[in-house]
Amino acid sequence: MDQILEQARSLWEGEVDFEGQRLADYLTYGLLTISGVIAFLVGFATQNIYQTLYIGLGGTAVTFLAVVPQWPFFNQHPLPWLPPKNAPKSQRNTGLEGINMEGISIEVDGQKVG
Amino acid sequence: MHNTLTRVQNVFGFFTSVAFAVAAAIAISVVLSSQTPSASLQLRNVQVVKGRPHYYSTKREEYAHITFSLDADLSTLFNWNTKQVFAYITASYPSDSPASIPESEAVVWDAVIPAKNAPEHHNTYIHPTKSTARPKTKKERLSLNKAYPPGKEPGILKLDKQKPKYQITDVSGKIAERNNATLTLHWNVQPWVGALVWDNRRTVGRWQGLKGGEAAFEFPPLKATEAKKEDLKTATGKEKNRGSPA
Repeated sequence: MDQILEQARSLWEGEVDFEGQRLADYLTYGLLTISGVIAFLVGFATQNIYQTLYIGLGGTAVTFLAVVPQWPFFNQHPLPWLPPKNAPKSQRNTGLEGINMEGISIEVDGQKVG
Repeated sequence: MHNTLTRVQNVFGFFTSVAFAVAAAIAISVVLSSQTPSASLQLRNVQVVKGRPHYYSTKREEYAHITFSLDADLSTLFNWNTKQVFAYITASYPSDSPASIPESEAVVWDAVIPAKNAPEHHNTYIHPTKSTARPKTKKERLSLNKAYPPGKEPGILKLDKQKPKYQITDVSGKIAERNNATLTLHWNVQPWVGALVWDNRRTVGRWQGLKGGEAAFEFPPLKATEAKKEDLKTATGKEKNRGSPA
């Protein structure tokens, strides 16, 4: 049950990693700007303002679809958490190559916490 | 951009900016389309009679009834950003003391001419047609209910001995025997987005000023004998808004 709730929460909140946030930003500005420019040019070329309206709204819909949901490509660079302080030694491994938390001490305001 | 709600807000926020920018570009782009409006306006008849503003009024005023002929080509006013053109004809006449009181202007006829892609609306003008034959096909019937003569395009007006839509009077109640009066064609171009543009008589950029569309006349003396009632009828047109606005 908890797992299902956690999945639902994750889907609803749709959190993405830092690289994903950068990508979402680029996509928002890029797609909307391009669709606006295309909408104006097509409408002006065909002398039909309805083309501008529909292309602009369509481009906006595409942007919403591309940016808002938690697509997998927004989560390609997850940041690992530090292992818990009192975890057994075998779990003191970040899972990332070459990064082993064993023997690393963390100081906060001059006090050893890790 | 870290969760769904922020992404929705960011996309929608930038969408409003893009929509505004595109709308501004459309509004400015109309200066690129050339306009060559032309019109010939002739006064056919003008009569001044006594009347009252409404049935129970005890006030007697002078009313002018102006019949005109108009042959206008305003089709170039319809560019990609034109929703409709409001065309109207005014009668203007100077005041008794032109130095201190400006001239008066009164509308005698008007018409809402929609662009071809504008949605249907029952207030739009229906151009009169000469043919009295009943339309045989649906296509024929539809072509009779347009704001332009059959087979033409929006902005073409061919009115012969057109009765006015409105009889006019003056605030003083006296309109007979005024001189230096002018009948003038005016219009508003109402765009989909952008500024409302009035008629121009001077050429600005690619927009040529209107040539013609003016007729000088004088208001005659008050009709001594009773005028024929049929001659004083107004023609409100076939719009379906008579008596009830919008």
